[in-house]
Amino acid sequence: MKIVVCLKQVPETNDVTIDPVTHNLDRRGLAGVMNPFDKNAIELALHLKDTADDDVQVALLTMGPDDYAESLREGMAMGADAGYLLSDRAFAGADTLATGYVIAQALKKIGDADLILFGRQAVDADTGQVGPIVAEFLHQPQITYAASLRLSGKNEVTAERLLEDTKQTLVAQLPAVVSVRSELNTPRYPTPRNIQLSFDKPLTVWHHDDLDLDDTRLGQAGSPTIVTKVYAPEPVKRELTPLTGTPSEAASQLIKALKGRQLI
Amino acid sequence: MPSTTAAAEKLLLQMVDDYTAREISPQDMPMDAAGDFPAGFIQKLTNTGFLGIMLPQEFGGAGFGPEATAKALNHIARGNASTAVTLEGHFKTIDQILKFGTPALQKQLLPSANDRIFAFSMTEASGGSNPMGISSTATREGDHWVITGDKIMITNGGLAQVYCVLVKTAPQELSVFVVDQDMPGFSFGKREDFIGLRGTPVGEIVMDHIIVDDDHLLGKLGDGGKIGDSAHDDARVLMGAVLTGIMEHELKIATDYAKERKAGDTPLTALQVTHRKVADIAMRKETTRLLYQNAAKLKATGQPYSEEAAMAKAHGSRAAVSAGDDTLQILAGYGYSREYPVEHLIRDARAMEIAEGTVEKMRSAIATAEFKK
Repeated sequence: MKIVVCLKQVPETNDVTIDPVTHNLDRRGLAGVMNPFDKNAIELALHLKDTADDDVQVALLTMGPDDYAESLREGMAMGADAGYLLSDRAFAGADTLATGYVIAQALKKIGDADLILFGRQAVDADTGQVGPIVAEFLHQPQITYAASLRLSGKNEVTAERLLEDTKQTLVAQLPAVVSVRSELNTPRYPTPRNIQLSFDKPLTVWHHDDLDLDDTRLGQAGSPTIVTKVYAPEPVKRELTPLTGTPSEAASQLIKALKGRQLI
Repeated sequence: MPSTTAAAEKLLLQMVDDYTAREISPQDMPMDAAGDFPAGFIQKLTNTGFLGIMLPQEFGGAGFGPEATAKALNHIARGNASTAVTLEGHFKTIDQILKFGTPALQKQLLPSANDRIFAFSMTEASGGSNPMGISSTATREGDHWVITGDKIMITNGGLAQVYCVLVKTAPQELSVFVVDQDMPGFSFGKREDFIGLRGTPVGEIVMDHIIVDDDHLLGKLGDGGKIGDSAHDDARVLMGAVLTGIMEHELKIATDYAKERKAGDTPLTALQVTHRKVADIAMRKETTRLLYQNAAKLKATGQPYSEEAAMAKAHGSRAAVSAGDDTLQILAGYGYSREYPVEHLIRDARAMEIAEGTVEKMRSAIATAEFKK
């Protein structure tokens, strides 16, 4: 069985700025870390590898600059067998559709992936769209936000989705694309030894010419999303009324204030 | 692209930071109060591979070098110094088996160092910094050795399962043997109730006619003094790293507090008296970092590092106590309260003015080395 986990490297800080021209997140010069939610997807893949009767190979796939290799190495230190980095200037500035297109083309080249896993969303842009887009490009069934997943037959998985007021159980024929929730598991730490050994594992870098691509679908030009404005909401100024005196007096003041505003 | 070594070190420190934040730091205050590691703490540390950070890969370890290993302890000590010191005691012992053990002894012992803690024991009631004052002996009987004696104040004593013990093999001859807690005649004695580094067990072992073969001798007969000195050197490099971590913790407490607190209407950050203290803490931290990293680099490149290791520990231990004192003064009443970690950081740092050779002995060693130049 072959599992491919797609991951993203995100800025280490919450203090990101917006590029004034493209209105995209400005990631230049920011230290990156693996998107935390993607670790849940890796952990699921490694759990299946640890517990399945058959041999399970786990590969990682990401798209971004050269330094995204660090997140692939970290995932391989957790226990994944191989990593693929899609890196080319032609891919830069892609929205979720253009990103999903390149990733889908890379998955076709990797070939024979039985299960393609995603974290539920990236913490920098928070869209959660790339997994479903990849599933559509590959014409594969998809399950999003899985809170549990098991191999329920030779060629199928059963996943549970936690919805607002109900649980939904879905069965998908493999190959399939699944995005997972963080409640699914607690990702393992890479051990110091596995960190060292990860550098003996294969990490393949594919550039534009290594993939079968339609150039009109790449990068910013191939991205139909137009970000017209991104802004931080103004902090709401709230009125603060101190309650004074004994607890009983303070409670009376509170009741009076709430009644005065017709809240009780 | 960074080199493989640099990239691996970066990943190691990233993992250590993540683990420290989630698993170690939350136990810092409870550990000090309880005077022990919490249940399951060491097992989890073991399962995550911490015991094998510097153990060569051929023995199942990660094989990180002296610089990365010291930095890892530096980062762990930001969260809790006891955890870092327990690893320091383990690593310095592995180092001596790597330096002086025969290939057969290494093959026999070292694979288990991923799962079992090792300790090095020299001190006795009759001798600490004076090794010739010890009373423990290994006596030749037939084709084996009989070891008898009582070792005290062992870092990880009671927690470790394998002990390198300094004994006399002749009236003026010191040697080191390796004994295992499972050997007949081995037992644990009293655990110390120290004021600092309270998570780390420090205790006694009693050796009552433990029988070992020649293959448990570390190095050659008479190498005891040399091996003991080497163990001290390796420990001192790592202690410099631990002390740097303590000072980073102190500096964070001091600056976080100063940024929030006012004296009257004036923020503490605007007071020159605060500037002086914070700057001093930062300079002490940074000089200790440079000293330990220099010693680790010398060790990694095969150069002498004994004097530099002594500097890292002698400077770093007083620096961390003084930095803790300045931090306490910035926090004033809160600093003096047990609700804040400052007072226990001072107690933790104070241990390292004594352990692995007193600062007075360090200064003698440094001065002696300078006189020889």
